[in-house]
Amino acid sequence: MKLPTRREALVNTAAALSAAVFTPTSLSRAIASDGPSITHNVEIRKFKFVPDHLLAKPGDTIVWTNLDIAPHTATANDRSWDTGMLKKGQSKSVTVSEIESGGYFCRFHPHMKAELQIEQKDSL
Amino acid sequence: MKIKSSLMAMGLAVSLFHATAFAQSPAELNDLEIAHVAYVADNIDIRYAHLALAISKNPEVREFANTMIRDHEAVNEQALALLKKLNAQPQDNFLSKSLQINAEKLIDEMSKLRGDEFDKRYAANELAYHKAVNDLVENAFIPNIENAEVKALFEAGLQIFKAHEGHATMMVGKLK
Repeated sequence: MKLPTRREALVNTAAALSAAVFTPTSLSRAIASDGPSITHNVEIRKFKFVPDHLLAKPGDTIVWTNLDIAPHTATANDRSWDTGMLKKGQSKSVTVSEIESGGYFCRFHPHMKAELQIEQKDSL
Repeated sequence: MKIKSSLMAMGLAVSLFHATAFAQSPAELNDLEIAHVAYVADNIDIRYAHLALAISKNPEVREFANTMIRDHEAVNEQALALLKKLNAQPQDNFLSKSLQINAEKLIDEMSKLRGDEFDKRYAANELAYHKAVNDLVENAFIPNIENAEVKALFEAGLQIFKAHEGHATMMVGKLK
C-alpha cells in the first residue's frame, strides 16, 4: 500500500470500496479553497476516461466510476496516487489537495490515458 | 471469407472441414451455442495467462497475463449472470470443441518453451488469438445474435477484446 506524499490527493473510500490507498492523516492536510467546492464526475466507459481532461481546484472532489465490465484503475503517471481497482459499478472519490497537475492512466490497460489539471491556490 | 480467415488463424482448418461437411458455420450457431463458444474462448485465454504466470519472468508479460485473467473472468461472470437471468444453458458445439482441441496443442507447445522464447510465443499467440476471436465476434456472432441482452454483452466484450488486441500488439513490438 502506497503512503501519501505531499503531492497526493486525499482519497476517501466511496461506495462499497474499502481499499483506501491514503491514510486518515492525509485528511488533515486538506486545503480549503476560497470558492465553493465542486464534485467532478469521471466515468470510465468503453475503455476511456470521460472526460479525459479535467480542471479542478484544491477542495474539489473527483469521483471516478467504472461502467465497464473490465476492472480499471485511475493511477497517476508518477504513481503518486491511485484509486485502486474499480470493478463494474464501483466508484472512488478523491478530495483534491495540493496534487500537481499531470496525467493519469489505467494500470491494467495502459493505453487509457487522461489529464488532471489542478489550479493552484494563488490562481484562484 | 473474413470468417474463414479467422478460423484459419485460430488453427481451425480441421473444424472448417467438418463445418462444411455438416453444413455448420459460426454464422449458423444459435445464441446459446455462441455463448458457449465465448465462454470456452474466455477460459482458453485464462489458461494461456496462467501458463504465462507460471513460466514468464518478464514483468510486462506477467502484467498482461494478469489483465487477461482479470478481464476474462469479469466477462465470464457477466455472461453467467445473464444466462442465469435468462434461465438458459450454453450449448456445446463444433466450434467450442475445435477451440479446445487447438488450445490443448498450443498449451503443450508453449509449456516446453522458456525465457524470451516463451514470452515471444505467448505474445504472438495472444495477438493472433484476439485478432481471430474479434473478427469472429464482430462479423459472425454479433450480426446473428437474436437476444438483445446477449448481443449487448457481446458488444461490450468486443470492446474489451479489442483493447487486449491493442495491448498485445504493443507487447509483441516491445519483445522484438
